[in-house]
Amino acid sequence: MLLFMDFLYSWHNNRNMEISVGTGIDRVVILIYFLLVMGFGAYFGKYSKTTSDYFFGGRRFSWWLITISIVATGIGSHSFVKYSTKAYQYGFSSTMTYLNDWFFMPLFMFGWLPIIYYTKVRSIPEYFEKRFNKTARYLATSMTLLYMIGYIAIQLLTLATALYRIYNIPLMLTVIIIAVATTIYMHYGGQTSVIFTDLFQGLILIFAGGLLFVLGLNFIGGGEFIIGMKSFWNFLTPDQKLPLAHFNHPPNFNFVGIFWQDGVAGSIGFLFLNQGLIMRFMAAKSVNEGRKAAAFNVLLILPISAIVVSNAGWIGRAIANGMPGILPPNLQPNDVFVAVTNIVASPGVFGFIIAALCAALMSTADTLVNASSAIVVNDIYGPLSKGKQSEKKQLEIARYSSIIIKVIAIALVPFFNSFESIYEAHGWFHSTFTPPLVVAVFLGIFWKRFTTPAVIATFTIGAFLMILGQFNHELVAPFSHGIELRPGKGYSYIGALYNIFVCASVGIIVSLLTKPPKEEDIKGLTVFDVDNLKAKFKGSEINEAKGKKVIVKWNIDNQIENNCIRFSKHDMRKMNANPGDLVYLCDNRSWLGGLKSIHAVYGEPHEIDGVVMITDYQQQSGLFNNSNKLFAEKEM
Amino acid sequence: MLLDFNRIWAPYIYLYAVGGIAFLIGMYLIIKTRSLNLKKDHHKKWLVVLIAGFIYYASIHGFFILVAQQ
Repeated sequence: MLLFMDFLYSWHNNRNMEISVGTGIDRVVILIYFLLVMGFGAYFGKYSKTTSDYFFGGRRFSWWLITISIVATGIGSHSFVKYSTKAYQYGFSSTMTYLNDWFFMPLFMFGWLPIIYYTKVRSIPEYFEKRFNKTARYLATSMTLLYMIGYIAIQLLTLATALYRIYNIPLMLTVIIIAVATTIYMHYGGQTSVIFTDLFQGLILIFAGGLLFVLGLNFIGGGEFIIGMKSFWNFLTPDQKLPLAHFNHPPNFNFVGIFWQDGVAGSIGFLFLNQGLIMRFMAAKSVNEGRKAAAFNVLLILPISAIVVSNAGWIGRAIANGMPGILPPNLQPNDVFVAVTNIVASPGVFGFIIAALCAALMSTADTLVNASSAIVVNDIYGPLSKGKQSEKKQLEIARYSSIIIKVIAIALVPFFNSFESIYEAHGWFHSTFTPPLVVAVFLGIFWKRFTTPAVIATFTIGAFLMILGQFNHELVAPFSHGIELRPGKGYSYIGALYNIFVCASVGIIVSLLTKPPKEEDIKGLTVFDVDNLKAKFKGSEINEAKGKKVIVKWNIDNQIENNCIRFSKHDMRKMNANPGDLVYLCDNRSWLGGLKSIHAVYGEPHEIDGVVMITDYQQQSGLFNNSNKLFAEKEM
Repeated sequence: MLLDFNRIWAPYIYLYAVGGIAFLIGMYLIIKTRSLNLKKDHHKKWLVVLIAGFIYYASIHGFFILVAQQ
């Protein structure tokens, strides 16, 4: 509390020294944007009827919808400020962290994704209980929640840092206003609202980032875009054009440290442990759609995102190198995003680009808050109530826990503000919180011999050794790759390698010293059983015979039971389906991305071709209406 | 400013050597466990995507390192 008060006081004292930017038009544009997103999110709240809808959007969305909504999740507000800062200082190597995720894609797409999808776990800690035991679940729950709430705090801090200059509202008040705004649409809509607001905001983000780059190049070229491009390239030094940083220098931005902190711990953490991202993939209509979304995201969207978040810094660097006197000589790198945007964009456009920064925050924060409340419901409330509470009660708990999570995140903001830069705060955060979880989940999935005592030792002894390393830098030194030790600060990013090493060593040694788990206890929970997971998911033998899609109208038949739907014999033959197989039924308008759809089971066939018989409940869940046809396809 | 090996090529080699080992282990595991089942046509396509993705990133980084020095 004292830290919090001290922060408020120091902020208040410094406030008058800050330069406020933006015009009245900009403020109005930002305000309209906030209202638009809140309305958009609240509208899609009507699609959340059950906890499955609230957290997983009913597992029904197409890959493209998931992909674009992931853009907005991956680009946080911290991304704009953090990467622009490094882009201004070091040039194109600011993109490193966006372009090093492919190495773990095979394991994610064909290892982890089918496991979480087909075992129907609702949260990562739940996987830990299935694979190990309850203690492992509780430990994973606390670490995952810490990780996500801290992440939310960083998001709030970053956006507030930019916004308080524009509105001249106290920083902490700005934090609270943003938190309230995102809570409003999240509170009612859950995952479906999150996906659709993120879809909207993802498009806005890409457009605004691209627009800023074009405006910047135009500015450098004195109104001529092509000249601007040439000058931009010429103004940057060869060092600033290199896509990777210096191997081990300087200590606060070097390749090898960032590789271990972000490329390894961060990538695995983001792909395997970020409950928000995992829930997004679980909202896909099938594992294959999830794979498509993941591949498309890493191959195309991440490189675009790297440009979107860094270009203000590159433009700033080019202006500073080649057009002296435009940017203040004492410009702080952290301020470059707002400073460059203010210079190159006209009133209104500046507001729009800052609104995109809001989009980045709101979409990352909403995903994380939704994910955190899923963990509270599934991993704290669920085990305490022994699963006896109604769906309504669970939804209520989810909604209120999202408010509590935001309150805790707001309280953590002053702590993260005490770091030298947001980049460092984020780096410390990744290298400290992810390694035990990364090692535990990785060995759990890919090593059958990994035991329950070993996972608990990884969380406890591993964490202890990590803390030891924080205070005894000589322990980290053998892993330093020649990175200079900063007096009083230690090794920042490369600490991730030490942390991964000690956690993995503890996990492996304890596993080898303890009794291996029984084969039947871990069936379907490691990569070695992925081939059989589909059958387990379906509950019977899978039918992989190729079939065609059919277009049908729907009729109500409330006599049908067990989530079955009925087609004609002819339509069943066309789909190559048998009673008991799984079917996906969706509104035929593909641009809806699966919003109006359901999963069901084939029932016994009837005689009327081109008609599917469904229940009232299925019609309401899928939000099907009479005027639109549906398509059906066999899943397995 | 003179750019040395540590500035230009060491990060690239380290990235694709260490990252490449992680990638190869991943590929080996998913093929060995038949999670990526090469008897299935659509899984063969995924194999191509996975390998092409690796080459794609190595090419992007390699290309920019080369043009940066022009």
